[in-house]
Amino acid sequence: MQVTTEVVGDAVHEVSLRDDATYADLLAELGYSPHEVAVLVDGSPVPEDGTVTGDRVRVLRLIKGGGA
Amino acid sequence: MDCDKCDREAVMHAAYSGAHLCDAHFCTSVEKRVRRRIRSDALVPSDASPENPQTWVVGLSGGKDSVVLTHILDETFGRDPRIDLVALTIHEGIEGYRDESLDACLELSEALEMRHEVVAYDDEFGVRMDDVVESDPMDMAACAYCGVFRRDLLERYADEFGADKLLTGHNLDDEAQTALMNFLEGDLEQMAKHFDASIGPFAAGDDDLRERPASDRFVPRAKPLRDVPEKEIALYAHLMDLPTHMAECPHASEAYRGEIQELLLELEENHPGTRHSIMAGYEELAALAAQRYRDDGTGADLTDCERCGSTTSGDVCRKCRLLEAL
Repeated sequence: MQVTTEVVGDAVHEVSLRDDATYADLLAELGYSPHEVAVLVDGSPVPEDGTVTGDRVRVLRLIKGGGA
Repeated sequence: MDCDKCDREAVMHAAYSGAHLCDAHFCTSVEKRVRRRIRSDALVPSDASPENPQTWVVGLSGGKDSVVLTHILDETFGRDPRIDLVALTIHEGIEGYRDESLDACLELSEALEMRHEVVAYDDEFGVRMDDVVESDPMDMAACAYCGVFRRDLLERYADEFGADKLLTGHNLDDEAQTALMNFLEGDLEQMAKHFDASIGPFAAGDDDLRERPASDRFVPRAKPLRDVPEKEIALYAHLMDLPTHMAECPHASEAYRGEIQELLLELEENHPGTRHSIMAGYEELAALAAQRYRDDGTGADLTDCERCGSTTSGDVCRKCRLLEAL
């Protein structure tokens, strides 16, 4: 499954995932911890352990960065 | 995926508790945790009354943490005649960054009709952080200067406004980072100070040893958001559509804290609940350290700074020494 992922204020990524992948898996592909971002689908936050549905998501960075 | 408490769509999953919550139940859950902490830390003394109200000064930076704290305090105590709330914003002299966050502070305090005071490093000390980072006479990180100046002004103005308490928006991640840093540095005395300055419960009158003693020297501080993870504070601000300023300070440079933050996020992902358990153990340890290291309560080792009069353990306080170097 191909998911178009917009990291708000940064870049748009095309991410390839297994069909049963979760939003946490999607974040792991992009190198984000679920504790530092929110995943938005159709403008609404979704739980990170939910299965990815739809082909467009937005990732909102919520917390100030660490040293990385 | 449905909310655990109703049939609406869940907006979040808290891995540490297993909960899936919709927007309304999630926001209620955040507010409940903040109110529970206010009760367990005994922030409202039993003798507070409409005739003898408490004044709480809230440090309001315009970032998500302090905006959420101010909003929840207003929801909880805005109409309570026992508590007077005053928002205090410090302008550090950081071009662009602080000007924008000040707009968020003004928007919030106007919407809440809350008394709001702004004080600036430039007016108080004749310095701006943009210039401090350029000259850097002590060869330190920007935050090392800024933290000293900010604490001085929060303390001084809280005192001037007659504050009984100074409240700040430190969240669970902030406090777990500080706890872990103190632990890794092996600094029990710092843990003792941390407990007595801001995380120990106030006396509820039952002579519990896990309470902090009253201090004549400092306005006591409290951190009512410290049970709520940083991400949940941000999500709450987003869902409640609160005016916040998200940008990071352009001078931010706490390298060690950043390293600890990365470590904690990784631990939390592999072992949900790590931040909560660090704090549970740390609070108990810090209470014991406070009993061991606490002075006799008279503050005999503290004097007035000979230049500015603020409380210090030497002749001249750290802020005055930094200002002299600048």
